[in-house]
Amino acid sequence: MENPGEGTRPGGSFAVSCENVSFSYPGSERPALSEVSFGLRPGEYVGVVGPNGGGKSTLVRLLNGLLRPDSGHIRVSDRDPATEPFEVRKRLGVLFQNPDNGLVAPFVEDDVAFGLENLGVARHEMQGRVARAIRAVGLEGYERREPDTLSGGEKQRVALAGILATEPEILVLDEPTSMLDTAGRREVLRYLKALRPEKTVLHVTHHLEELTGADRILVLNGGDLIADETPERFLSDADLLRENRLVLPVVPRLALELGLPPTRLSTPEELAEAILARAESGTRT
Amino acid sequence: MTLELKDVSHVYAPGTPFEVEALRGVSLVVEPGEVLGIVGGTGSGKSTLVKHMNLLLTPTIGEVLVDGVDARSLKKSELRRRVGLVFQFPESALFAPTVEEDVAFAPRQLGLHEDEARERVRESLRVLGAEELATRAPFALSGGEKRRVAIAGVLAMKPEVLILDEPTAGLDPATRQDLLALILGLREAGISVVLVSHDLDEVAEVADRVSALHEGRVRAAGTPAEVFYREPAQAPATVQVVSLLKGSRPEIGAPVRFKETLETLRALRGV
Amino acid sequence: MTSRSLGQFYPVASPVHALDPRAKIVATAVFVVGLFLIDSTVGLLFVAASLVALVAMSRIPATTFLRLLRPVLLIVALTVLIQVLFSRGGATLVEWGIFEVHSGGLRLGIFLALRILLLVSSAGLLTATTAPVALTDGIEDLLSPLKRVRFPAHEVAMMMTIALRFIPTLGEEAEKIKGAQAARGADFSEGGPLRRARSLVPVLVPLTVGAFRRADELAEAMESRGYRGGEGRTRFRELRFRKQDALALSITVLVLLVGILL
Repeated sequence: MENPGEGTRPGGSFAVSCENVSFSYPGSERPALSEVSFGLRPGEYVGVVGPNGGGKSTLVRLLNGLLRPDSGHIRVSDRDPATEPFEVRKRLGVLFQNPDNGLVAPFVEDDVAFGLENLGVARHEMQGRVARAIRAVGLEGYERREPDTLSGGEKQRVALAGILATEPEILVLDEPTSMLDTAGRREVLRYLKALRPEKTVLHVTHHLEELTGADRILVLNGGDLIADETPERFLSDADLLRENRLVLPVVPRLALELGLPPTRLSTPEELAEAILARAESGTRT
Repeated sequence: MTLELKDVSHVYAPGTPFEVEALRGVSLVVEPGEVLGIVGGTGSGKSTLVKHMNLLLTPTIGEVLVDGVDARSLKKSELRRRVGLVFQFPESALFAPTVEEDVAFAPRQLGLHEDEARERVRESLRVLGAEELATRAPFALSGGEKRRVAIAGVLAMKPEVLILDEPTAGLDPATRQDLLALILGLREAGISVVLVSHDLDEVAEVADRVSALHEGRVRAAGTPAEVFYREPAQAPATVQVVSLLKGSRPEIGAPVRFKETLETLRALRGV
Repeated sequence: MTSRSLGQFYPVASPVHALDPRAKIVATAVFVVGLFLIDSTVGLLFVAASLVALVAMSRIPATTFLRLLRPVLLIVALTVLIQVLFSRGGATLVEWGIFEVHSGGLRLGIFLALRILLLVSSAGLLTATTAPVALTDGIEDLLSPLKRVRFPAHEVAMMMTIALRFIPTLGEEAEKIKGAQAARGADFSEGGPLRRARSLVPVLVPLTVGAFRRADELAEAMESRGYRGGEGRTRFRELRFRKQDALALSITVLVLLVGILL
């Protein structure tokens, strides 16, 4: 696929681009990624979905230089993560899945400062950036708390603050809510949503309801990029969903079955309204 | 068996500055052959409650009764065989070199004959759809596969009641649906299942009855329709949608599961 | 979700708590060496009195502090007993069969016991008045001159920080695994020592494997945040050596000198 697909915001070079990227884990017969190509424009919000083992996590690690592609080219903010990982990591931050295993320091403040310390930021500047980042995730007052006294949602917010403190242009979210309970997930998504207009975001997830506001959705299955669609087209394609072991959450699924547009209807309120509107106008699709 | 908790209260670290009352006056009954859903947010006491069912924790006040008999009078190993508990993220406790060996742990601890133990292993793996994994190393499996093996390990004790604490946590939606189908299958086989979950949609699909916990107390108990329609703000999506339509369509009824909700909604629009 | 920072730290505001951790670490080290240079019981008693005053200044309740000494009480008692029963010198106080108690033995026993108690107390005071984060920062700073001879001071400090961060987490994990295995019929309390050790395998193996997995994920997260060792790293927490720190160090040395001379 060379064409970035529908719904792309116009203008400018790519923030992230992958060209025919392939990667196999040593000792594995199947490639984890096979000739994957796509581009992310600055300010875009792109979702990545697909079954486990399909290559999503591998992609994340290739983008920030934790892994090197066997073939193909990757460019992040005009740099190659394989040869300039440090420069890339200044501009691309990753929020990982496990809230516990991303926290390094015994206190929240210190952990948020960790990235800034690595980048050699001067101390007087760090104080302000740490405070701002903590505020951006709603954790004022938590500065001297210890990680194991926090809930899952709070831990992920600390991790997010740690990434925001280094002010990256690009955010990659690797299933950030899959180990959280409903309350935690809601918390984290709320703060992620607030970031959307300013950053370029690549959001890997199983929870399709998190992607209703996305510009595009990429589907990775068995190492291949199967699809690159707008949410509207994607969520209405039952075959595509089934083949990729994806399941719509309850409300959009009801909507789909009732012949109503699933992407615009993600909350019970929206669905109820739409049902009433339809019943009132007396039409049927 | 009928497993009952009668007025159970539990205080952690009594008399110290860390004293915390996790459960207060909780009563519930697990009837034979049913799926009981236990719901509540973090801090509601769900996990504490569930550990009382096999006496990993003992009540500070109150009793745990198995078929009317005080569970404390039973041999611990006997109780834990009959009431199987699968913790959240149970795969973190896998330890044997092969899946077979791991699943055989519980049967062997029970003192079963080697042949019978192997038979139990085979049976449990079959129920979980994990037979091909038998000779694999647990640590090399995917998250979903490990989860199945861990559950098989408890199922191998042939418990009468199986408690699952957040069994779908961290799983992708398709695997989650497989697990829910499994729970229904276990009920068909006569095993009572206690499903502890923060995910109301999933509880809505499989539970026969529900107990809702809030801050250590039982907020509501009854059929899913009774419990969820009482508090639509904290209900599965299906119930929320229907509750919102009740105002303009009072005749609408009280469906909880997806299929019945869909039928109800279709009927509404005059299809 | 209660948490205790690594057992010993007692968080309260006091002039001792406020001291620079480097000063405290060096003072403790000097103290320990100095203790072995004191050869009179009177000297030790003088130093002990000073330490008591210091504990009082640190606002740590006596009962809490004494609890720190509990683990060594057995050793202290044994030491005294051995000296009392087997050391000769001075007047004979008691004779009982083959055992003879001499005043010299008694005095030596008390001397050695005092020294052990002072050693443990000084270490205990250090950890009780210094937050683990401050301790690791202090150690890293003190070791940093060694970087010139390729000693990985930063890496050592980072390892300590991570250990401190994960000890409560691993503790909870161990509890959870124990519970899971108990639910499968494991019994950790029955049988002799060999049997009990074996029954821990289903806990230790997953705990270790889990720890390795965590380490992997943590390393990825750290690298992703730009970590590349100590090169070019700045520090968020500031350690400032002030007048009171110099004062504390000088007082320590003085007290020891007096003790040695006594």
